[in-house]
Amino acid sequence: MIDIALVYKKVIRATVFAAELPGRFYRSVFRGNYPASVRQQLGAVVNNLVLHVHPTRVYNRSIKAQTTFGLGLICFYLFIIEWITGIFLMFYYEPSTGAAYGRILDLNYTITFGRVMRNLHRWAAEAMVVGVALHMCRVFYTGAYKPPREFNWVLGVSLLVLTLALSFTGYLLPWDQLSFWAVTVGTNIVSYAPVLGPKLRFILLGGETVGSDALLRFYTLHVIAVPAVTALIVNYHIWRVIKDGGLAHPSENRGADGDPVGQPQKSDSVVTTFPQVVYLELLVFLVLMVGLMVASLLFNAPLEEEANPLTPSNPSKAPWYFLGLQELVGYSAFWGGVGVPTLLMIYLLVLPYVDRRPAGIGVWFARERVVMIGVWTVILIGILVTTALGIYFRGPNWNFYWPWENWPGPH
Amino acid sequence: MERWLGIFGVALTLVLGWTLWDASQQEWERYQEAYYRQAVRLAQKGSQKEWASNLRTEIRQVQLNGHTSVERCVTCHLGYDNPAFQNFAAPLRTHSALLKSHPVERFGCVACHGGEGRAVTTLEAHGQGAVAAKPLLNGKYMQVACYNCHGVNTLPPEATAGVVRGRQLVNSFFCLACHKIDGEGGEEGPDLSRIGSHRSWTWIYAHTVRPQGVVSGSTMPVFSLSRDEIQDITIYLMTLLDNRDRLRYLPLMAKRVVREPPTGAPAPVRKRATEGRVEFGYDGKKLFSGAGCNICHTVDITGGEVGPALTYIARKRNAENLERLLRDPEEILPGGKMPQLYLNDSQIHALVDYLSALR
Repeated sequence: MIDIALVYKKVIRATVFAAELPGRFYRSVFRGNYPASVRQQLGAVVNNLVLHVHPTRVYNRSIKAQTTFGLGLICFYLFIIEWITGIFLMFYYEPSTGAAYGRILDLNYTITFGRVMRNLHRWAAEAMVVGVALHMCRVFYTGAYKPPREFNWVLGVSLLVLTLALSFTGYLLPWDQLSFWAVTVGTNIVSYAPVLGPKLRFILLGGETVGSDALLRFYTLHVIAVPAVTALIVNYHIWRVIKDGGLAHPSENRGADGDPVGQPQKSDSVVTTFPQVVYLELLVFLVLMVGLMVASLLFNAPLEEEANPLTPSNPSKAPWYFLGLQELVGYSAFWGGVGVPTLLMIYLLVLPYVDRRPAGIGVWFARERVVMIGVWTVILIGILVTTALGIYFRGPNWNFYWPWENWPGPH
Repeated sequence: MERWLGIFGVALTLVLGWTLWDASQQEWERYQEAYYRQAVRLAQKGSQKEWASNLRTEIRQVQLNGHTSVERCVTCHLGYDNPAFQNFAAPLRTHSALLKSHPVERFGCVACHGGEGRAVTTLEAHGQGAVAAKPLLNGKYMQVACYNCHGVNTLPPEATAGVVRGRQLVNSFFCLACHKIDGEGGEEGPDLSRIGSHRSWTWIYAHTVRPQGVVSGSTMPVFSLSRDEIQDITIYLMTLLDNRDRLRYLPLMAKRVVREPPTGAPAPVRKRATEGRVEFGYDGKKLFSGAGCNICHTVDITGGEVGPALTYIARKRNAENLERLLRDPEEILPGGKMPQLYLNDSQIHALVDYLSALR
């Protein structure tokens, strides 16, 4: 005998349970309902592991595109994209001189999504080098490294070096002519350091020349050591942004008498991080991802013939971001290999401890900082000109050629 | 904000869809499907029909040299060992009878045909894609591959005729006046000793036909050679490999020697560039064009314009001066364009006799 009433009750209860399950799950993940009131919006940021690296509220000015162009965020996204595509590539790659090039060809030719993943990894890496450099210029030109943000600038400089290290160690892995000779030239630049130079190069390569030990070493550095250190410092870097008071803002500027100058703080309204900032960050990710995907579908990452230690390519060029140094090495091995990079590093590291007057913070090209901006711009133009010379104007035997001139061949 | 999120969300979905579509378009699948259709049609016995209808669409490959070398040519060239496909067009056609003595399982395809064995699109596998691979050897140029393993002594003469004739042409046409091959020759042009590893046959052919069309500003003259002669020169130059490329053929050759005991014929040794140099009758006038002087110099109204006209050269230089100039141009014309021609005594005397009469 079936109790109709009981069955009816159970069906109702099951239906209600099923209807409530999604909401229950949502609340279990996000620790509460979708935030409706301002109070709940503030709580949504604090109560979420990913979101809590944000302040709960930000100045309206801070989320305007022209304030930062989202460059730090873009670098962070690129780093994540490098991790994900890098793991995919690791499934197939083998760091041995006999197999590496074949694996890259397989990625290009037969492995499903292999080519697009390799292209993504390559173009995101190039974009990251450019992005980190632009981010640094943004921070400089808006005076965002002044106290209390000096140490976060130092962390940023170390992230620049780590980004170059990531890119350079990855450069060797395809084991084609391009990578082999670029790394040979790049590590030769290292060896121009006095006393320690040749030893440093030996440690880096695990030998006197680029060979199987160098490949294994670069691989280990590229997939474990450097990304792990970079990830740690990225976290530290982002954490310090909130601890140092969020994005640099003009209200931090002080006049000679120590009083605030310019617009009073109240004049800039404040928005809640959730949802405005979160949605904006999501939008930046979508735009970046669409751009990278289209680039990866249309343009293939460079790949030349398999590495041949017997046949140097002429000219042998280092990766493009080191071509400024290689250009300088053409004039003086010491200055290109050691002098200029050391001076540049010292300049970058002491900059925020020297230039600490609270003027021009959060303002592009502030008139009060005209000397500092002039020095930086001259250095920047120097780097751009030497790099462009190295990329576009150098042919066989490092001779000068116009970009439209043909190099004498066969080379 | 939400609108832009929506737009770019849709855009990303579309791009991901494009990626999927791109990955699903495989040229080789079309060839395999065509092959299977034909295989079922051609099958006569029931067992053959069953075999043919059970074939799966998949990438096929041959692994060589302890699995380090992978060749996927057979993914598209499925009929290579099926005699029923004699009359089909490439890529399904049956391989020639040479396959019997050169089984794919041992030699693969690339050792003879060149190209990129790992690729599975026509463009890339045949060496025309963006990745630096050399174009396939075909037709007459297959001689390069025969010669690389077998040399000239163990094959019927016609199998390497192009290599032999090309070598003779290179040596007799005074290419060595400007180019070095294996340590012998001039300094004017690039060393050609390893040219076969560094250049493709298409490049060498085009460059020999008209150097300036390939390397702008090249000082190499355009020679009056027939199409056949340029092909033979290209074939010979393609056999000049660097050590790494030469070592590729060693494992294949070693097995051949083990299987066939030596018959007393001398081992194939690559001939030095000096061998096979054509001897002239040393008629000075003929030698003037035979040695290629006329390519740079004009006498009367015929000849090149790279060097000075020689119609009245005897008025300017006496016999002794001409002889010293021909023996060592650098001594008389230091820093000049005139190359060292490496002529022997009787050749020099014949030329000096001829030139001394031009007044």
